[in-house]
Amino acid sequence: MIDSFKYLPRLIALFYQNQEIEKSQTIPWTSFRSPIKQARFTIITSAGIYLKESQSPFDLQREQKEPTWGDPSLRIIPSSTKPEALAISHLHINPKTILTDINVVFPLQRMAQLAEQGIISGLSQHCFSVMGYQGFPPNTTTWREQTAPQIIEILQQEEAHGALLTPA
Amino acid sequence: MPYWAERIGVPRTLAVEHPFGCPIGYPGDEKGQLTLLQAALSLFETCTTPGEINEFYDLWQEPIETAIQSWQPLEPSPIIRMLTPHIRDIIRQKGKLNLK
Repeated sequence: MIDSFKYLPRLIALFYQNQEIEKSQTIPWTSFRSPIKQARFTIITSAGIYLKESQSPFDLQREQKEPTWGDPSLRIIPSSTKPEALAISHLHINPKTILTDINVVFPLQRMAQLAEQGIISGLSQHCFSVMGYQGFPPNTTTWREQTAPQIIEILQQEEAHGALLTPA
Repeated sequence: MPYWAERIGVPRTLAVEHPFGCPIGYPGDEKGQLTLLQAALSLFETCTTPGEINEFYDLWQEPIETAIQSWQPLEPSPIIRMLTPHIRDIIRQKGKLNLK
């Protein structure tokens, strides 16, 4: 059985295991009617990835000053972006591994390869990145009220069929 | 992490046992990454029940302690720095553990 806490330091694992987190009462669900080879996908990552030249990093300075706050903003990233055009701002993981091969968390190139192989139809025009840390306790109000509707609107325009969520 | 997927209510989950930051696999392991992605995407065709969690086993080759060190930031995050002195107290207050 997969151990969710295997790679956490012991004390942090114990801390999380003892948080009283209620299970979600409802699970969002849409049946997937097409075979994936006919489907267009997007990637939504929480790894804090952004476009190096044209987007600002996530606001780590404010998080340093206010440790219980996390940046709720969104980065919209064209699916055609080359790995070298991407950067990462994240205070909770070491970005070294991700910068070695960004496909470990934001697999633009691998998804393009799957499209070339005919496994999927392709990627939507845009993929998305947020900062996974949303404060302590987490405040996902902006995500629910602004970010998610914005992503949905774009994906409907781009006729995406499914989203691959990749947590950092 | 299936623990969180279950609590948050993710529609379809491919659970993996990887260090943080590497949900798709090892850097540079193109073949492994493609295999994992195909397994994840196939869930769109095979899952019929909301909240279904499928486990994907690809043994992480790095020793656990090394992997734990590798994914962590060079300095503790601000919230960890803030909470660390209190974590033991918080856990004790829950009354579920008695840490020495």
